[in-house]
Amino acid sequence: MMNMIIQAVLILIYATFMGFIFMGIERKTMARIQRRIGPPLYQPLLDTLKLLGKRESITHGFIYDFGPIFALGASILALMFLPLTQNFQLFSSSGDLIVVAYLLEVPMLGIMLGAMSSGNPYSGVGVQRGLLTMVAMQLPYGLALIALVEHYGTFSLQEIVKAQQIAGWSILVPALLLAMIVFDIVFQALLGLEPFDITTAPAEISMGPMVEYGGKQAALLFTQHAVQLFAETAFFVILFLGGANNLLELLIKQIAVLFIAIFIASIYPRFTIDQAAKFLWKWPTIMGIIAALLAVL
Amino acid sequence: MNEIAIMLLAPIIAGVLAWLLDIKRVREIVGVIGAAVPLIYIVQTYQSVFNGGTINLDVPVGGFTLSFALYNLTWFFAAIAALLGFTMALGMASTSKDGYEWLFALMSMTGVLGVFMAREFVSFFLFWELMTFASFMMVLKYNRSASLKYFILSVIGAYAMLIAIGILYAKTGSFEFSTIQQFMYQDATKTALGVKGAFGKSETILLYLLFLTAFGVKAGAFPLHVWAPDAYSETNQSYTSFFSGVLSKAGVYGFVLLYSMMGIKLFYTLGTFGGHSLFAYTIAWIGALTVVIASFLAVLQEDIRKLFAYSSVGQVGYVLLGIGVGTQLGFEGALFHALSHAIFKGLFWLVVAALILQTGKTEFKDFGGLAKKMPITFAFGLIAVLSLAGIPPLAGFASKWILYEAAISAKMPLVAGAIFLGSGLAFAYVVRFLYAVWFGQMPSDLRNVKEAPLPLLLGMALLGMLNLVFGIAPGLVTKFLNTIFGHEVITGDIYTINTGVGNYNALMVAICLVAGIVIAGVLFLYGAKTRKVEVNDTYQSGNPVTQDFNLSIRVHFYKPLEEALSFWLRISFDKLYTIIAKWVEDFAEVLKNAVYNGNVQSYAWYLGIILLILALWGW
Repeated sequence: MMNMIIQAVLILIYATFMGFIFMGIERKTMARIQRRIGPPLYQPLLDTLKLLGKRESITHGFIYDFGPIFALGASILALMFLPLTQNFQLFSSSGDLIVVAYLLEVPMLGIMLGAMSSGNPYSGVGVQRGLLTMVAMQLPYGLALIALVEHYGTFSLQEIVKAQQIAGWSILVPALLLAMIVFDIVFQALLGLEPFDITTAPAEISMGPMVEYGGKQAALLFTQHAVQLFAETAFFVILFLGGANNLLELLIKQIAVLFIAIFIASIYPRFTIDQAAKFLWKWPTIMGIIAALLAVL
Repeated sequence: MNEIAIMLLAPIIAGVLAWLLDIKRVREIVGVIGAAVPLIYIVQTYQSVFNGGTINLDVPVGGFTLSFALYNLTWFFAAIAALLGFTMALGMASTSKDGYEWLFALMSMTGVLGVFMAREFVSFFLFWELMTFASFMMVLKYNRSASLKYFILSVIGAYAMLIAIGILYAKTGSFEFSTIQQFMYQDATKTALGVKGAFGKSETILLYLLFLTAFGVKAGAFPLHVWAPDAYSETNQSYTSFFSGVLSKAGVYGFVLLYSMMGIKLFYTLGTFGGHSLFAYTIAWIGALTVVIASFLAVLQEDIRKLFAYSSVGQVGYVLLGIGVGTQLGFEGALFHALSHAIFKGLFWLVVAALILQTGKTEFKDFGGLAKKMPITFAFGLIAVLSLAGIPPLAGFASKWILYEAAISAKMPLVAGAIFLGSGLAFAYVVRFLYAVWFGQMPSDLRNVKEAPLPLLLGMALLGMLNLVFGIAPGLVTKFLNTIFGHEVITGDIYTINTGVGNYNALMVAICLVAGIVIAGVLFLYGAKTRKVEVNDTYQSGNPVTQDFNLSIRVHFYKPLEEALSFWLRISFDKLYTIIAKWVEDFAEVLKNAVYNGNVQSYAWYLGIILLILALWGW
């Protein structure tokens, strides 16, 4: 048990650090695509440390503070249930695919709670957009996961990774390749990247739910984003890219996933919310249904 | 005296007493005691029922014997009814206006307990009607048109059930569930062997459709759900916690009965579709459609009661879906969800009752910023929100998790997709409730709002605690449900539930969540001091706004979704039924003008014509 806890703490520190680096990679790559130089990779980490060091931060009440704390706590929780590598299975035997899929959405509730408790109208609009994006992406997201479970006949992430190590990556199966494409489209929304960065939309509603946060609450939200980014890319790798034997392999695959997301994000402009809903309920849903039915047959 | 007799009589006697006395405080005390009695007996009988015991009651009335039984399946439903009945009584102690409400609220409690414990169709039907009548009277007092809509659909359901019971009695000669079950079993064996049974194909299908209508109305299944949003919202909200939490479960229990009596017969008669038993698959799809449609409508509501009414309809859809999956796992998920729906939705309605009692308002546009004024109610509301949205580790997640596993492992991917969509929508509408009611700017007329009264808070506390207990220890429920099936459908200890294909350790999730929050909290405390500012003191892109300008979005919160769905929203079953009702009315009008015109001479003519016809016929 003690061993598990030490492992968990080490992974948490590693994941937070790598998450910040991922955020750096995101900014740097975007910048290079736009022919700028961009900030150094460790810039997000410096930003967060600076925010933590602020002398005073404002609050709108208990829920306003509790929101980011809950979000970060929930992100850590989600991370703990992923079987990252062979040596770092963490607590993944205590929860399966459905549990993890839900846990990855819980942090959003925390952010929403905090955002709502400030009277800022931009936060309100951000909350509305965030939830509608979630509603829109839920169906294709669910179908992609269902296709996966129907194919492997188990909900356990460990078993899914094992099956992939024997029979090859998920994406080699036609039905699951389709599911992967669907999942990848939805993944943009999960990460809050274009064309689905409707929730934050910096140019329209000044970061939406996050607008009111500064100081240490913002630092918590940055940290949460880092952990979440690490967990979500790892989730992708576990589901479709055969998992990983060690942290290095995991890292390479995660960065590959991240690059795809960044490339898509830097090409496409933002959808409006009803466009996003109509789009997600059309092609990705149809592909998801086909994938799920193929997986059952 | 027999336990069942006391459980059935205590609420209604208390109700009559409360109505007769009708003295403030006295009627409340009588009512709460009357509602507490069944709960006490439920707790007392737990051990013996868990060990497989049965309590029977037979009452000879006229030529019939009304017989009741309390065993694990009926105990489970009766426990839901007794629990919610008690919390309803606590809520009503704060919100009831007169003895009338106590009478009919407690009468419907007796009715629903009778339905759950009945062992044959006579008492089942009698108590079913008692329950419908009492709940109808509760709605009638608040809104006539809502109550009539409820009444008409209930009558349709009741007739359907009566015809079905008649057919069953004619063929089997018995009202007893167990006799009918055996008869059906033998009949199914005959069908399977290719011998002609007592029930032909068309008769079996007719019975199936009749029961589907009868129970579908009560459960609020699509497309028979139209009464529910109106009836749920137009009554005392404390009573609604019982109405939507338990009375809809009578429909669910009906579906369970349908399975246990006719399941095998239906399976052999209707065959399979894509590898699923056709009759069950139909129920699964009815459930899935109910989930999706009701949840979409819930998202778009502007009235707090309507939102939760639609949400109740949607959540019962999950239960039907689980029953329709047809595996033992699906059943267990459905029954668990019936319990968790009762406890979180009961909690929600009590919160709504408190809000309406303290503010007198029902629409989202009039609320705002109440978290400061009613912090305890807010905390319970938050628990209900987390449970309904299916956030681990709360009861709502555990039951929904089983439903996911059941639907996916029964190879019903599209039905499972409906659960995903429904959950996303549920998340959206509960957050909307949080935002509009508890947060943001407070309208000036809510400045003097006070915390909810104590009895109401006690009711909330009981339900809120159960949401946590059954969430962290889902094994408590699954272990009991396993006894219904006689073997371990879901394994694991009390904190872990294991379906064989998946595993969920609720305690571990809870511990990790707390650990995560502690880590984040330490990070937060390490940071600088905070300074409290007004809710409206915000960043506005350089446009300072004064206090009297409302900046919270309360009306049409999900406008973009409404726009995206505009095509589908034009289709409405409610409107279709209204059109049919109009036709019937017009037809009656024509009859009235042309035939029943009040002219004695024409009546004499009718009589003459009929006599002539009879004479020609040779009478």
